[in-house]
Amino acid sequence: MLVELTVNGESRSANVPPETTLLKMLREHLGLTGAKLGCDVGDCGTCTVIVDGVSVNSCLMLAGRADGCDVTTIEGLATADDLHPLQQKFEEHGALQCGFCGPGMLISAKNLLDTNSEPSVFEVRDALAGNLCRCTGYTKIIEAVIEAGEMMSQEQATV
Amino acid sequence: MRPMNYIVPESAEAAVAILAERGENACPLAGGTDLVVDLKHAPGNINALVDVSGLEEFRGIDETDEGLRIGSMVTYGEIMEHPVCLEKTPEVVAASHTVGAVQTRNLGTIGGNLVTCVPSADSAPALMVLDAEVTLIGINGWRRMPIEDFFVGPRKTILEPYELLAEIWIPSHTLAKPSSFYKFGLRKGQALALVNAAAALELDGERIVAPRIALGAVAPTPIRAVKAEALLDGQAVDAKLLDEAAKIAVTESKPIDDFRASKSYRRQLIRTLTRRVLERSVEIARERQEKDKLH
Repeated sequence: MLVELTVNGESRSANVPPETTLLKMLREHLGLTGAKLGCDVGDCGTCTVIVDGVSVNSCLMLAGRADGCDVTTIEGLATADDLHPLQQKFEEHGALQCGFCGPGMLISAKNLLDTNSEPSVFEVRDALAGNLCRCTGYTKIIEAVIEAGEMMSQEQATV
Repeated sequence: MRPMNYIVPESAEAAVAILAERGENACPLAGGTDLVVDLKHAPGNINALVDVSGLEEFRGIDETDEGLRIGSMVTYGEIMEHPVCLEKTPEVVAASHTVGAVQTRNLGTIGGNLVTCVPSADSAPALMVLDAEVTLIGINGWRRMPIEDFFVGPRKTILEPYELLAEIWIPSHTLAKPSSFYKFGLRKGQALALVNAAAALELDGERIVAPRIALGAVAPTPIRAVKAEALLDGQAVDAKLLDEAAKIAVTESKPIDDFRASKSYRRQLIRTLTRRVLERSVEIARERQEKDKLH
């Protein structure tokens, strides 16, 4: 089936078998390998992408379901010149070790900060409950998200 | 995943007809958070998915004179953000918030969760204490029933072959009824309930009116603790009475031993959670009375 969608602001399409998940379409048909295949059952969150404004496990969503939708993946965060504030703060805090959870962790955090740039620790934990990190623990990740929120608010204030 | 046909029906009736025509090889697809996992690992003989998630008849949240209608294909994420749900069914929102995590709540639907019919389904107790009803559509048309009657056993609902859960209705007389939901899991996120409990009641002065208690993960289906409700009905609020009701709720449950918790631990939880949701409901009812006095 033909699936047409907008990925990171660009119109993309691919002919995929109907049983293809959105994750598989992104990785194998569109060459966007940022979102990762982890548990493949919706527990680990490393496949997280934003579809029409809400974060989802792309391993559980059939590609056909995303037809006509607006999708943001980790590849859509940085610009040619700058890292996204979240990426900068994750780097500063050493929030990632192996990095495998990173794409999902960053996308979930972005989805939170897009609607709430001054989240409490509880809100960050709640927003990241579906993203598992097996290396660092979560403290640095949470600190990075909160600082990135502050940075984004300041950037907004100066625009 | 094995090759699948993917069909998007034009209406609920068409979905039922397609399912009936294709027989046991076709399966309705809602949010997919359970079904897609099953299809990857144990697909059985399924070779066609009928995607009912976008059907108009199964979508939307609307308040009418009759009550609040929640389409079966509304996601938990949508319920959590809906202003009417937040105002009038806050404990359904609270229960929704305890399901899975953000990403699964944005895919998973309330109807899909009820149809999966696991004893621990978090929305079930919160809906049962509000006297919720469900509507179903099948080859013989529509029918409607109390939500308790929908659950038949573990992973078994009253749905006939090719029948679909269409709507959940919360009647107008229980909207904004003082209510409380509490889930006890091993973690806050991504965890199934060891026990979950909900209560709802009104207070007439100090007298308890229309008490409801529902429990999950304590029996083959979510259950109402009707004997405990009967003890409370019409009685004056009293800490001992609430605890007595909680004790009776334990006797109405049939918890099991499994790898998450032992039977005896679950029995303790049932008593504690039942007492807590009753106490909290009383507290909310009293706050309501205070507010009404001021007006």
